[in-house]
Amino acid sequence: MKEIVLPDTIPLLPIVDPWEQQDAEGPDSTKVYQFYKNLSEGKLTMQRCKKCGNVFYPPQAMCKYCNSTEYEWEEIPKTGEIHAFSALLLGFPMIIENFAPFVVAVARFGDYPKNGVQIIGIMFDTDYRSLKIGDRVEWEIMRIKGPGEKVRYWYCFRKV
Amino acid sequence: MRNVAIVGAGITHFGRRDASWKDLVVEAGKALFDDVPNLDKKDVDSFFIGAAQPERWTYQTHVAPLAAELLGLKPRRVVARTESACASGQIAIRYAWLAVASGLSDVAVVVGVEKMNTKFMNLSQTSMMNVGNREFDTAVGLTAPPYFAMVAQRHMHLYGTTEEQLALVREKAGEYGSANPYAQFQKKITKEDVLKSRVVAPPLKLFDCSGITDGAAALLITSEERAREYTDTPVWILGGIQRTMANSINEMGELSDWLSLRYLAKDVYDLFKITPEDIDIAEVHDCFTISEIVEYEELGFCKKGEGGKFIEEGQSYIGGKVAVNPSGGLLANGHPLGATGVRQAWEITMQFRGEVSEKRYVSGAELGLAHNLSGMAQFHHIMLYSIKKPKDVKFGR
Ligand SMILES: CC(C)(COP(=O)(O)OP(=O)(O)OC[C@H]1O[C@@H](n2cnc3c(N)ncnc32)[C@H](O)[C@@H]1OP(=O)(O)O)[C@@H](O)C(=O)NCCC(=O)NCCS
Ligand SMILES: [Zn+2]
Repeated sequence: MKEIVLPDTIPLLPIVDPWEQQDAEGPDSTKVYQFYKNLSEGKLTMQRCKKCGNVFYPPQAMCKYCNSTEYEWEEIPKTGEIHAFSALLLGFPMIIENFAPFVVAVARFGDYPKNGVQIIGIMFDTDYRSLKIGDRVEWEIMRIKGPGEKVRYWYCFRKV
Repeated sequence: MRNVAIVGAGITHFGRRDASWKDLVVEAGKALFDDVPNLDKKDVDSFFIGAAQPERWTYQTHVAPLAAELLGLKPRRVVARTESACASGQIAIRYAWLAVASGLSDVAVVVGVEKMNTKFMNLSQTSMMNVGNREFDTAVGLTAPPYFAMVAQRHMHLYGTTEEQLALVREKAGEYGSANPYAQFQKKITKEDVLKSRVVAPPLKLFDCSGITDGAAALLITSEERAREYTDTPVWILGGIQRTMANSINEMGELSDWLSLRYLAKDVYDLFKITPEDIDIAEVHDCFTISEIVEYEELGFCKKGEGGKFIEEGQSYIGGKVAVNPSGGLLANGHPLGATGVRQAWEITMQFRGEVSEKRYVSGAELGLAHNLSGMAQFHHIMLYSIKKPKDVKFGR
């Protein structure tokens, strides 16, 4: 009988890796690579169109207001205000289960919507019962280690 | 435009099924074919299948020809798989309606299906998390329960809506769902049961959530000319439209305002020359209890902020102002993403035909509205079904 042999383990596909997009294959892998580079340098940024002056987020390679592809990266104001929050206590996704449970919050930074953003962040070591709408939070860069030697960056929120 | 009707319908049992994706398609197809014994499969010229994530849950892509073959169909006009997460099924119906109304197709089969329970439930959650802007908004752990929990929190904050009012939505779903033999959760659930169930994402608890569900449903859709070959009780598809205005958290503004739905509903009422008061049955997307409350408001059944009061006053029960989710909704039926929109049409068809249990029958109903939302409520979808034949439908400005 003919036999074929499969490897001992089949690695998980990158589709379950929340941060696969920023694998540093270089700036060519995504046109908004600068966003990730900024994160690695300690800055969470939004884009401002050089032509019409509008602010936009999430990062993308064209201003959706005037179609210009000329934009600047601007640091999002460090402190913002909680618009809503909850916590993920049951039904954890794969990989996420490694750092769940946690608080999830939507917060507004700067003068939203004209000159600021409304973004979602997770909050570690925080009891959701200690929070309320309107609380001030800061964004903070978070270092993601793994799998293996890989190091990447994202952001989370911290109560101030 | 030609008049279009649902002339046959079939459904599978919903739940944690010991059946594969293909088994579910076949089961819904068989139920449909049993419902329309006069159907010669050669006459089916078009085929639409609503399926949200078969490539993730069963690793199968290119599902339209696969499902058509399983059902013994060789469609030759319009064939498509439709995907918009939780609304995938309704979109399949809309395409069938358009294909038949245009005259391109005469006889179309629609299937909606999802197989969500797998050995890796955490992978199912990962898959569902991707309905937002995955890279920037949702991949870090924003699944549906915490998102809708924040909608609930905002609604409570702005309008004083209470956990008890949310719990009433589940109590109603259980009351009707207990009379629905196809539903995943057929147990009656009291308001108190909801309030003491495990917290999933505060303020939402287990019974505030729909489930992870396997299931499928199917419809036969034909032109008016062909309808009488298959049934004496056609259900007319008046039609329906969709609306999306924002996708990312940054564009959503106030989370408890579902503007896309508010404007969509207005457009639907204008386009079809009806008012919210004309609707007898509304099968709406209660993926969470809070969703149904926001939907009462945005669909214009009550004023903004008064959704909690609306259910408290019994207005959304059978016999109230409008019977909302007499099927038990997603909360009792479970929510196999691609199947849900087709199940809603199945429900309205069975209601009009008088083939549901007395306990959830809406007697005298003539007009049904089916609503779905998809993703984090960024995208809304409405279809209208009627027992009365439409007269001279024209769309234009
Ligand atoms: C809420 C949720 C996380 C619960 O999942 P879970 O904790 O893994 O639940 P389990 O599968 O372990 O089930 C435990 C028990 O609760 C029951 N159950 C699970 N979900 C339920 C629900 N939504 N409603 C009622 N009962 C439920 C199960 O039947 C089971 O009962 P049993 O012990 O009598 O057999 C899951 O149902 C969920 O993610 N729901 C939301 C689905 C969703 O997001 N859909 C998209 C909407 S836009
Ligand atoms: Zn611009």
